[in-house]
Amino acid sequence: MAERREFDGKSASPGQGIGPAHLFTFIAGEYVPREGSGEEMEELAKAIDRSVEALSELAARAGGESAEILEFQIEMLTDPSILEMVAERVAAGDGAALAWVGALDDYIERLEDAEDESPRTRAIDVIDIKNRVLGALTGKPVEDFPAGSVYVGTDLAPSLFLAHDWSSGGGIALAKGSEASHVAMLARARGVPMVVATGELEIAEGETLLVDGDAGKVVIDPIESEQPSRERESERDVALQPGPAAPELKAGDGSAIGLHANINDPREIAVIDRGAIDGIGLMRTEFLLSSSAAVADEEKQASLYRLILEWAGEKPVVIRMLDLGGDKQVQGVGGVSGENFMGLRGVRLLLARPELARVQARALLRANVTGNLRVLLPMVALASEVDEIRRIFKLERTYLARRGLTVAMPPIGIMVEVPATALMIDSFHNADFFSFGTNDLAQFLMAAARDNPTVSALHAEAEPAVLRLVRYVMRIARAMGKPVSICGDMAGEPASLPGLLSAGLRNFSVAPSQVGAVRAALAQQTAEHTGQAGG
Amino acid sequence: MMEAGRNRYGVGEDQVTPRCQTEIEVTHGVGLHARPSVTFTRLAKSFPCSIEIEVNGNNIWLNGKSIVKIMGARIRRGSLLRIRAEGTQAEEAITALKALVARDFDEGIKHGRTA
Repeated sequence: MAERREFDGKSASPGQGIGPAHLFTFIAGEYVPREGSGEEMEELAKAIDRSVEALSELAARAGGESAEILEFQIEMLTDPSILEMVAERVAAGDGAALAWVGALDDYIERLEDAEDESPRTRAIDVIDIKNRVLGALTGKPVEDFPAGSVYVGTDLAPSLFLAHDWSSGGGIALAKGSEASHVAMLARARGVPMVVATGELEIAEGETLLVDGDAGKVVIDPIESEQPSRERESERDVALQPGPAAPELKAGDGSAIGLHANINDPREIAVIDRGAIDGIGLMRTEFLLSSSAAVADEEKQASLYRLILEWAGEKPVVIRMLDLGGDKQVQGVGGVSGENFMGLRGVRLLLARPELARVQARALLRANVTGNLRVLLPMVALASEVDEIRRIFKLERTYLARRGLTVAMPPIGIMVEVPATALMIDSFHNADFFSFGTNDLAQFLMAAARDNPTVSALHAEAEPAVLRLVRYVMRIARAMGKPVSICGDMAGEPASLPGLLSAGLRNFSVAPSQVGAVRAALAQQTAEHTGQAGG
Repeated sequence: MMEAGRNRYGVGEDQVTPRCQTEIEVTHGVGLHARPSVTFTRLAKSFPCSIEIEVNGNNIWLNGKSIVKIMGARIRRGSLLRIRAEGTQAEEAITALKALVARDFDEGIKHGRTA
């Protein structure tokens, strides 16, 4: 039996998990500019070949009109010009799928712009080609690790986290990382125990590792008595069973309080009690669309959005457009400089690479025929950015409607996470609602990056400054008649709730695992305030 | 309209590559949409010379053998098409392509498979 060894780290997600260690050797989730784009082009060429093959088979069986359409599609795909259109984008760092969709969308737009009598007949076949090749490109399996094991590495890619089956337990131990990272948020949302900043662990593959997310430590080959019991885990499962509608929460002044959930993936609804929340206050899409192929896939996106909208029914669902950049990279989306929270990210990236925004806008417009959708824009700094996104939505709505698809324009709101946006909030009349992103607001106000462990103490002290700004925004937003909510981690801290309530906030959106604790804290607040008012 | 400067194809300093150019108005109902584009580019590809087209004198010459380029040019009824060819069989190519446009890409003929 190996010897017990203990390493201190920081808790990033509570709970205890145990399992054989799975050592991950390379740093995942980081955008690495490609030296040569040959591989991507080769992948695309293969996908085109497969598509041509499939089309040829169809054409051989078809006759007359349909055979001609198929032959047209084959001609298009075998034309070297089509690869040339894509090559430039791949050279700039885009993955094959994204480059393909971006180039074809541009091309289709040119066809549709024609003021001739039948723009649809020209474009529809090209759209068909686009989707066929995209289908041939996608579906690459993600490199997963065995269920029930403990992930050990320097960092963990959100895509890997989301693709993994956590239902058999396990946990995450990261040598570096930060409790404020996005993977940590994901882990808290899914209730996966996680410890960060453990330093290098001297551990062999398969050795038993205990992740103690409550104590913020990891133990290699723990003794029997400290191993978490099975009971605890089943307890956790039971807590997630759907229950009846929770009683209404009210603030001291009698106004209603809304409690919403933050999710990263529609599949999370499996662990959310719909009765306990008033809606989805934030669905991030950057983890959901964690490959450039997914980012480019309009159909897949639309079906994922529909899934959550149908589940939520009449309850509002806020879907945030891609917030890439900063610490969230997608392999195969070129032009994204990593590791800078203040660079080309969020709406800036969407506008710099409008092909990303266009695909997502189309998927959202198409999904909006069911449920109660609201679209949220990340990292907005100027009102003109909202106008530009709106313009994209309107343009895509026109194109989709012309193709005979049912679409509806959703309300579009903004994240308030850039200090200038908070200070200039009166200039955002063109936004339908505001949502505080306190994680970014805090790091920008404190000038302390949230992924940098050496300044995490500063980050923790940002709350008073954030509250002042929240109070300021609330006053003006009320006068503007704009709904305001908060979806940052601060909303999930029961200790922060009194301050947020007194600042005027009434809508809170928190990780599913925090809904219970926040509800309890809010109910207590309500009782106290009511008590004060009565006495 | 044909400015054919033809020479024997061979090696030599005074060798002139055969060039040929023509101009024709598109009279086909919906212009060069999917099917006419296929017909046009297939015919163009049957010649060894390079073939380029220009639409409405916009001075942008596109590869006449590329259906992607031809479709993207949005050639409609009434568009003025300039076709130029360079290399072996340039004159034959121009004659054949011009005739195809004049025949409305054989769209009137009931389509059977030809090959």
